[in-house]
Order: sequence, then C-alpha cells, then structure tokens
Amino acid sequence: MAPSPDSAVLLDGLGKRFRLTHDRNWTLKATVLAGHRTRYEEFWALRGIDLDIPHGSTFGIIGGNGSGKSTLLKMLAGILRPDEGAATVNGRLSALLELGAGFHPELTGRENVYLNGAILGFTSKEIRRRFDDIVGFAELDRFIDEPVRNYSSGMYVRLGFSVAIHVEPEILLVDEVLAVGDHTFQKRCLDRFAQLKAEGRTIILVSHDLDMVGWLCEQTAWIQQGTLRAVGPSPNVIERFLDGAGDSPTPVAPSPSAPRRFGGLGPDDLVRAVDLVDANGHPMDRVGSGRPVRFRVRVDADQVGEPVTVALGLYRADGTHVASINSGAAARAADEAGTVEVDYAVDSLAVQPGIYELSVALHDATMRRVFERHTHLVRFEVEPTGVDQQNGLVALGGTWSARSVDR
Amino acid sequence: MPLLRLPRSRRDLHAIIPVDLLVNFTLRDLRSKYKRSALGWTWSVLNPLVAVVVYSAVFSVFLRIQPTVGDPSGLHSYAVFLLVTLLPWQFHVTSLTESTRAITANAPLITKIYFPRWVLPTSSVLARFLTLLVEMAVLLILIAVLQGHIAFQWIPVVLVLMLLQLLFTIGLALMISAVNVYFRDVQHFLGVALAPWMFLTPILYPLNMVPADREFLGIGYRTLYQLNPMVSWAKAYRNVLYDLRFPSLERWLAIVAATAVVLALGFRVFNRLEPRMAEEV
Repeated sequence: MAPSPDSAVLLDGLGKRFRLTHDRNWTLKATVLAGHRTRYEEFWALRGIDLDIPHGSTFGIIGGNGSGKSTLLKMLAGILRPDEGAATVNGRLSALLELGAGFHPELTGRENVYLNGAILGFTSKEIRRRFDDIVGFAELDRFIDEPVRNYSSGMYVRLGFSVAIHVEPEILLVDEVLAVGDHTFQKRCLDRFAQLKAEGRTIILVSHDLDMVGWLCEQTAWIQQGTLRAVGPSPNVIERFLDGAGDSPTPVAPSPSAPRRFGGLGPDDLVRAVDLVDANGHPMDRVGSGRPVRFRVRVDADQVGEPVTVALGLYRADGTHVASINSGAAARAADEAGTVEVDYAVDSLAVQPGIYELSVALHDATMRRVFERHTHLVRFEVEPTGVDQQNGLVALGGTWSARSVDR
Repeated sequence: MPLLRLPRSRRDLHAIIPVDLLVNFTLRDLRSKYKRSALGWTWSVLNPLVAVVVYSAVFSVFLRIQPTVGDPSGLHSYAVFLLVTLLPWQFHVTSLTESTRAITANAPLITKIYFPRWVLPTSSVLARFLTLLVEMAVLLILIAVLQGHIAFQWIPVVLVLMLLQLLFTIGLALMISAVNVYFRDVQHFLGVALAPWMFLTPILYPLNMVPADREFLGIGYRTLYQLNPMVSWAKAYRNVLYDLRFPSLERWLAIVAATAVVLALGFRVFNRLEPRMAEEV
C-alpha cells in the first residue's frame, strides 16, 4: 500500500500472534527444567491487515466476537506490539478502550483527573487549564473531591470519557464505550464526536452497533477471523457483513436464492413472528406493487422487560438495500405486557415487482443496543399490478396521459 | 526507545522522562497508601521505631554487640549506629517488595492504555524515597541533638549517597518488576532472600566483626562479604552520619560502579521484556 501524507493511520500487513499456554502454572523451575522447549501453541489473532485511514475521517471497524477488532485497536494504541508488518500513526492518539481505566478507587475525582490526564500524555499544566471543562462535561462539580470508589458506575464512566476527549487527540480510538452511560450522556458523547469530526479530527470506532457505525462513519472495515473481509463506504460494508456473516462468528455462505420463508426464528427469540397482513389482519404472502400492506412483528414483551424499538430493513433478493425504517418512540413494545404486535402500515408499497426480503431488528429505546437481529427473515413476492412497462427500484405509481398540443 | 540518550531540548527531555507521569504516579502511591487507615502516616514512623527498639534489645542488650566508637565524632550509641544503616536498608527492602508487583498489580491499566511502563516501578520506588527523606531528616536532628551541633557540611554528602542508592534501587526494581510478569516466583524469592541479605550486610553489627583471617575456598571471608554491594552503602552511610567522616575513594568507586551497572542492566532487561507485557501480565 502506497504511503500517503494524508494518512492518520497506515497499516501495512499488520499481524499479531498470541501464545496459548496449555499449562498456565509455568514457573521458573519448569522453564529451567524444560530448557528452551516451548510449551505453548501459537495462533494468529490478526494477519495481513492493510488499511489507510485518512486524516479527518471517521472510520468504523466491525466484525463478530473474537474477530480481532480489539487486538487491532490495541496495536494502534501501542498496547500490543505487532509481530508482523507495521502500523504507522501520524498524530497524537487517545484511546478510549475502557473509560476510567487509570482511576484509582481511593483517590478523589480531582486527583484522578490529573493522574488519568498524565497517563494520556498531558502535563499537569495542560490539565489545570482544562480542569473546569472536564468536570463540567462530566457533571460532577459537587462530587469532584470525593473518592471515586463512592461514584456510581455512570459517574465513573462520565469522568473517564470527559478526561479522554479533553486531551484533544488528533486521532481518537473508541471501543464500544458508548454502550454505557444513560441516554442523555450518550447523546452528548455523540455530539462531542460530531464536534471532533467537524474540527477535522480522526475517529476510529469499533462497535457491534451497526446503526451507529453506519450513522457516524464514512468508511468501514469488516474484520472476520483476523483478516480483512471488506473495506469501503459504510453502507456497502455493513450490508455485506449482514449478508455474509450476520452476528455469527463463522461466515455463512450467502445464498439469496434459498427459500427462507418465515424461518429462522428460535423458540427463545424475542421476535415471535413476522407477517405480512392486509388491512383486515389477514396474512398474505404476496403484495401488489403499489398496493397497501402491513408488516406485523410479534414481540415477546414479557421477556424483554423494557421498551424496545423495532427496526425493519427491506432488501431486494439480490441484496440491494431498499429501505430501513425504525419505529422510534412511536411503537414501543413492552410498554404492554405479554406478546405485543407492532404494525408498520404502508399505504403503497412503491417498489418494482420482484422477490424481496425483510430483516428485523430489536433495539433498546435508545437504539444503541441491539437485542436481536434477524437478517432476511421473511421472503415475499411483489406482483405486477399494471400493464406498464417498468424497471428499476421504485414504482413511482404515476399515471400516463397524452394530449395534443397542436392548435 | 533507547533510554539513555541525551535530551536536546526541554520538550525532548519530557519525551524521554515523562516527568508529569512520574510525579502523578508517585503521588498516587503516596496518597493511596494510608487511605482508610486510622493511624495513617503514623505507621511509617512506627515501623522504624519498633525495629530500633527490638533490634537494640536483641543485639545490643541480649547479644551484647558493641557499636564502634565514631571516629572522629566520638558517638557511642547503638541506636544511632543502627539507625544510620537501618533506614536506608528499610528503604531498600520496601522499595523492592512494593515495586515487584508494580507491573502485575497495574494489569488493568497496562492492558488498556499505553504509556512508558518503566514509570510504574520507578514511581513506586520514588514514593518510598520521599518517606526516606523525611526519616533521614529526623535522624539528622537526632544526631545533632546528641552532638550538640548540626553537621550541615555532611548533608550534601548524605544526599548524594541517597541519590545514588535511589538510582541503584530503581535499576533493581525495573529488573524484578519486569521478570515478575513472566515468573511470579520473583516475589516469593524476594521474600526469602531479603532476610539473609540483611544479616549479610553490616547493619546490626560493625563490619570489623566479620573475620578477616578466615578463608572459604581460598578467598577471605571479608572479601566474599564485600561482594554484596549493600555493604558499601552501609559502610558509607555509617562513615558520613555516625563517624562524621568522608568515605574512602574505593568506597565511592564501588558505589558508583554498582549503581551504573545495575541501572543500565535494569533498563536493558526492562526494555527487552516490555513488548509482551500487556499480553503476559
């Protein structure tokens, strides 16, 4: 990969090897007795990663559990040393791998701000100048001289986040940290990211939350089993990720032609059923192009126990993303008890005839946490309804007319 | 990063020695040490006090070890004789035992944030060094009271000795804290080794009680005994604070050589073992 002066981060064939020690109790004696014979197995957690992340970009990294995302982030942060290839970082980097990792429980919030700031590479003078901002952002003015062991986990995280973003990094690494904190704080964190982005700083975000990655990041890399599977504009990569692997750690061969009608729901799933129904609630398995339809999702509300947001994704059989809709606050299941039916009523399904697939996801009320995601759960046919010759993605539903303009 | 390179500017100096990080970690160790204990800092005074009382009783009263008479100071007090070496020795012991776990005890930090790791054992030693400074100041006052006047001219010499001991201890702390990541045996070994080490250093008795006329495998007892670098420090501290006399040139050379070798070796070992610390810790 050609080095570019605009690169904030340049990875060239990056690889990391871990040792699996079979006997964890290896001691000095054992090593002396065993001499140089190694008693561990090696495996590559990450290999052959080439990436060029330009300055000022917001870059997402997605992948299943154990795919190597965090290993990659730790190498960028300098915590782990690569065993192969090189990672070049141009600019001051701050890593939010765990908020408040450097806090000492017995010290006060104030003392910890200075300590954590120093760990992140700040001088005490620089911290003193930003101290009020840090405390203000964390909303801890009254508690700053209390030992942090008395803090709630929310307060702890707020202070950690506040210190980390006030060090004014040129490159910010974020690992799944927004999964904590309450809704308003998350909102402010996102605002702060947007602000950092506007200031031209580089943000690298590792997350399971595809919606957030899609919303925040222009470019995304998908890592699977330690190798780079795809990199490019976020919507494309996320789509390939959903098609190819879903949330399972092993890649599933994409087979868009296989019939998967109403299948794929287990007995423990929160989503009980997904149906297409007409205005009277009668199930249908085909819809006329431009005709009304209701997408009905049945959710086991008792099992969730908190308000959920339902999100629907409509895809053409060839994988083209047609539309995504989420219920927002409008139709929150689990405000009720038992099984709840959430309907999304469409007056006119304005798509071209063909085979379509519906994906369903359940989020918490803030849309930051995914409870379940069922990709391409329902397959259905959209029938032609007119005699018009049409092609493309949408059915515009217009009418033709002709009249003479010759006077 | 090569550690022993000369800084070219102030900024460069900060890149090589992260002063603020050292200060903050040292403060953390000092502040958190006696949090939530009723007696707090009294413990650090109580510790040497109890040691002096017990050692004086056992070695001076029961075993009747005679301290040397300070030359030219004329001092003849087992307590002072003991304290001038015991305080630096206790610094040595607690620095090493506390810094052994400096890396392993900070595992959550090491696996989440990058910063120069050598700061951890170093600041742990520094925190203990500040306590030593206070203890030595109290000792100087005690000696001044016994002497009837304050020996100001010896203060810089003591400070130089202490500074050299600090560097020597940092070198050792770097070594053992790094090796302890890979072999937890180190912390247990240290617990076993420190007690004999103390008895093989002239702290409780004068050096001249070690027989000079006996040999082991053709090497004199006294010669073997002096291979222990702590002997030089004990002797030098006793020269300066008890005898009120400048240590001999050989003594200084031995001390400087030991410090240079151990410090260089400490950084070498540490830098070699640092890359995989976050995985092994």
